[in-house]
Amino acid sequence: MITACKGVCFLMPPKVDPTKCDGCKGESEPLCEQVCPGNLMTLDKETMKAVIREPSDCWDCMTCTKACPRQAIMTVLQYQLAYFPGKLIPLVGTNSVTWTSIDCHGRVERFVMKTLASGDDEDED
Amino acid sequence: MAQRVYIDADVLILGGGTAGCLAAWEARQVGGDDLRIVILEKAFIRHSGCLSAGMNALNMYINQGTPEDYVSYVRYDLCGAPIREDIILSVAREVNDTVKIMEAAGLPMKKKEDGRYLNRGKWNIEVNGSLLKPITAAKAFEAKAEIYNRVYVTELIVKDNVCLGAVGFGVRDGKFYVCRSKVTLLCTGGAAGLWRPNNRRDAHHRIWYFPFNCGSAYAMCKRAGAEMTSFEMRFVPVRTKDTFSATGTLAIGMGAPMVNALGEPFMEKDPYYLSWGGHTAPTPIRMLALQRETLAHRGPIYMDTTKGDPAKVIGLKGQYLDMSPCIVLYWGCNDIDPSKEPIEIDGGDPHMVGAHAGMSGAWTRGITRETTVDRLYVSGDALGAAPSRFISGSWTCGRIAARHAVNALRENSCQLADIPEDDLNKLEDITFGPLKRYEEKVKEGVWTDGTLMGGITAKDMESRMQKVMEEYCGGRTHWYYVNETYLNIARKHIRRMRQDQLQYLCASDLHDLQLAWDVINRLDVCQLVIEHISFRKETRFPGYVNRSDYAGTDPDFDCFINSRWDPVSDEVICFKVPYEQIVKGDRKKQSI
Repeated sequence: MITACKGVCFLMPPKVDPTKCDGCKGESEPLCEQVCPGNLMTLDKETMKAVIREPSDCWDCMTCTKACPRQAIMTVLQYQLAYFPGKLIPLVGTNSVTWTSIDCHGRVERFVMKTLASGDDEDED
Repeated sequence: MAQRVYIDADVLILGGGTAGCLAAWEARQVGGDDLRIVILEKAFIRHSGCLSAGMNALNMYINQGTPEDYVSYVRYDLCGAPIREDIILSVAREVNDTVKIMEAAGLPMKKKEDGRYLNRGKWNIEVNGSLLKPITAAKAFEAKAEIYNRVYVTELIVKDNVCLGAVGFGVRDGKFYVCRSKVTLLCTGGAAGLWRPNNRRDAHHRIWYFPFNCGSAYAMCKRAGAEMTSFEMRFVPVRTKDTFSATGTLAIGMGAPMVNALGEPFMEKDPYYLSWGGHTAPTPIRMLALQRETLAHRGPIYMDTTKGDPAKVIGLKGQYLDMSPCIVLYWGCNDIDPSKEPIEIDGGDPHMVGAHAGMSGAWTRGITRETTVDRLYVSGDALGAAPSRFISGSWTCGRIAARHAVNALRENSCQLADIPEDDLNKLEDITFGPLKRYEEKVKEGVWTDGTLMGGITAKDMESRMQKVMEEYCGGRTHWYYVNETYLNIARKHIRRMRQDQLQYLCASDLHDLQLAWDVINRLDVCQLVIEHISFRKETRFPGYVNRSDYAGTDPDFDCFINSRWDPVSDEVICFKVPYEQIVKGDRKKQSI
């Protein structure tokens, strides 16, 4: 079920990459704004890109990070808690989520976690 | 005046969380196609609340033994506490059915070779619960419940001790929502954020419980005049340091014992802890042990993960990714390899929860989940005196509450009430108060830093409240110790804030209005907590609340502490309610 890979690959309050975020044009509000349990994500009316209104209020649930259709959101650990740089990137599939963890030395680990029960178990190893 | 949205419901569910979604589903099962089921949800139902980050285990499942054995375990795990055994029994009898329902709904269950659920310890089963919330919400969709997302419920509509509905505001649209109902089920969660969190500034919400649960269920019940229970029985989490991720994953999953700086598994040495079962001692005792060990200068305290199978560490990271992903990154960025070094743990800020290892909430009649206010039901963390239901038990509890509510609706032929326009206008004024006040105060003047000359923000008020609770009501930095002198100071300040300072609370926009209501609700919960702790003149749950003036237990307090708020005097009147032991046996031992 869990695959650890030796690849090379790593951040918590959500940071939005302006080169990737398009503000979810066509949606009534960006998906991250729609889903945030803390009502923290919002659209910056000037840049038309998503922004967290109060980074310190985030619970690090990563709902926005997983929901972003353009993978524009990176969850970053607060510097008071952990060294820089490091990233944790979820890639959401149909029945699984693939997590790539890159520690602050650049070491990569990958995990495939099942998210929905499905007929076939192709996500499992 | 705000634009109004009028909604009529047969069954009104406040809070689309663990309990609320399954309540909607059950209401449809027993109530038929014509029942109008409405859910008002503060956030977005597919991803809101405690389950938003996922969860890797269901902590209530009858793997072995009987429902009675589970009650015996829960009682033991809370130091032989008085608990509502009738309520826990009712949940334990149905919880396995509920898990089956959720498996059929798509929840990936981990299984053993023989096809049985993979257990972790006696009462837990492992799941891949990263999508636990969307799967739970799908049950409400299946029930064709009418769901209103981003509606913050501010007050119940109560007349002559009957709940007639609820009002709130649209967090996005700013409209005033008026919902009349025949029965109302309140399940908006417990309360985080009353005390100061361990981490400051940008990490202040890196806490154990969902920080956006502000105790609105407790506060609304209190203001509605409902009988409340066990607010002295707060929950203090022992969790991984800094990230506050679950330790059950380490303790039960990895067999990692607590050790001190000297590497000693201290729970296995001291006769006091041994008398409670050693490293599996009741939850408050494990908290107490961490405190005592640290105060004896044998900290830091760890969970020793180094003695187990290193291959399990990979599995460990996977399990955390399903519920608390940040710890995996935390380890990666702090060079922590749990197979090579033990994991440091710490005590967090206390939380008020009814469904975890705490038991604050509304008092209910029999096993109906109906509060002492007619037609008002509670479930999930809002239900008091019935701890350790966790997720699977809260799902189940939601189902049971809905069943009783629908039956009562039919038996009593409950009807929608006419609510006088004057009453609604008053409720609207209260709901939008902080926003209106901002508009007035901004005219009085603004400092160069943008803050009001004549008002204060929700954040300011929260900081003040947390300071008072931390310093005078047994916060983490005081190692959870209180005495009557401290409590009197806490009482004085919280009263002052509630009675005198709320008139300055301002909200500049709808998000701010949400924060303002969060702090209004939290202050009400603080009042309950202070009065209950003050009334219980003994230390029944050491580790959770240590009374330096009344150490040890007193047989006179082997009972529930309940209370009712008097709106005229603004006093919370506490009184004793006898405990009824249903499951026979030694209360301080597990039956299996």
